[in-house]
Amino acid sequence: MVEMIRKSSTDEIVNHLILAGSCILLMLTGFGFLFHVDAIGSVFGGFNTMKTVHNWLGIAFALSLLYSLHHYLIESLEYDADDLQWFKVAGGYLSHKVKVPPMGKYNPGQKLYYLAVVAFGFAIIISGIGLWFFQDNRTVMLLSHIIHNVSFVVLVIAVPVHMYLGTLANPGTLQIMVNGMMPLKDARKKHPKWIKAIGKM
Amino acid sequence: MTNDTTKKRKAILVTPENCIGCRACQVACKSWNQLDPIKTKNNGTYQNPPDLAGTAFNIIQFSEVPSQIDPVRWLFLSRRCMHCDDAGCMTICPSPGALFRTPEGAVAFDHKKCIGCKLCSSACPFDVPRYGADGKMSKCNLCADRIAADMTPSCVKTCPTGALKFGDRDELISAAQKEGFKTIYGEKDLGGLGTIYAFKDEPKLYGMLENPTIPTSVVFWHTYLKPLSLIGLGGVVAAAAIHYLAIGPHKEEEKEEEV
Repeated sequence: MVEMIRKSSTDEIVNHLILAGSCILLMLTGFGFLFHVDAIGSVFGGFNTMKTVHNWLGIAFALSLLYSLHHYLIESLEYDADDLQWFKVAGGYLSHKVKVPPMGKYNPGQKLYYLAVVAFGFAIIISGIGLWFFQDNRTVMLLSHIIHNVSFVVLVIAVPVHMYLGTLANPGTLQIMVNGMMPLKDARKKHPKWIKAIGKM
Repeated sequence: MTNDTTKKRKAILVTPENCIGCRACQVACKSWNQLDPIKTKNNGTYQNPPDLAGTAFNIIQFSEVPSQIDPVRWLFLSRRCMHCDDAGCMTICPSPGALFRTPEGAVAFDHKKCIGCKLCSSACPFDVPRYGADGKMSKCNLCADRIAADMTPSCVKTCPTGALKFGDRDELISAAQKEGFKTIYGEKDLGGLGTIYAFKDEPKLYGMLENPTIPTSVVFWHTYLKPLSLIGLGGVVAAAAIHYLAIGPHKEEEKEEEV
């Protein structure tokens, strides 16, 4: 039996599932609105219902993103010299020959990704509230419309990168999202500073 | 956007100097479209209702603009949807079929498909779209049902002075120019409007917008952001596939041997 270590708590796993699920559905319905995709509208029984679903999924996304702050925000704001070196070797993603510096629980790519999701996530949430509740204010509507769409473009690029890196590009990572566990042996290699910090090196 | 409907594109030509402000057009519009009355208050002008509304698709705008020779001068302007060729409302509308172009070139709407997001009114240069009690968009549709049956729109039908004319857009424009109207408002704006105005005075005097344009942010969104979202997503998928094949996933075992 391989010795496992818990990387994500149940709390984090459940919240991430809500965040990810709502995000994917919001993007799908968003594409439906953006490009008038009747096939997507039909899934929801028409665009009227799809709008309601999109709005309320936005609430789920907002609450979930807000809740995620206490999981990841502090760590995502801390960077050290190894993190800088990580960027110089592009995290080892462009070549398997480079030496990737020792990492903590999250690498700086993940930390910056989280900050981007927070920034553009809240931008898309606040502008969504503008579009939902300030329909009679032309300035708010136009501003919200452009912010909503700029954030959408950023997220629709960033999120699939995260999905690729969390699955195909790093075999074994997906199970952390599902049950929170990873083999201690792998963790010692991938996250030595984290394992040292919790005294399991 | 010039399309194949241009040739037979229909329009309403408004000649404000022929308008006597009788508001029969308002009544006829209400009657044909079965629009509920609006309770209004006297606010010191004959303009009533005070603005376009969910149940008022056209109004006559009263402006008092005295001049040197004419100390008591009232200007009457019949307002309704402009039926732009390049229509901001249609560009921004997220629900397919909620706003659509009739074969005669009018911008018509389908209540059932409208999702009530009200983006159309933000994108309209002329502040036309209004909303009914159900929160859905409603505005002039150039009496699409009437003109499809070879009738004229109800406002035009009832106009006693010829201040409203309906017909082939090109013919209306050339006729008005022959009559000596210098300015045909809407001849070229936004790809050409479907409600055009024949003026001898400055259109500004009547409260017309000088250079109507779709808001820049809406044009930017439509031209760049929309395609970018698809290109971005497609690019990421392609880049991930190339990365997976050319460089390959992270390999833990090899690393260990190197270290």
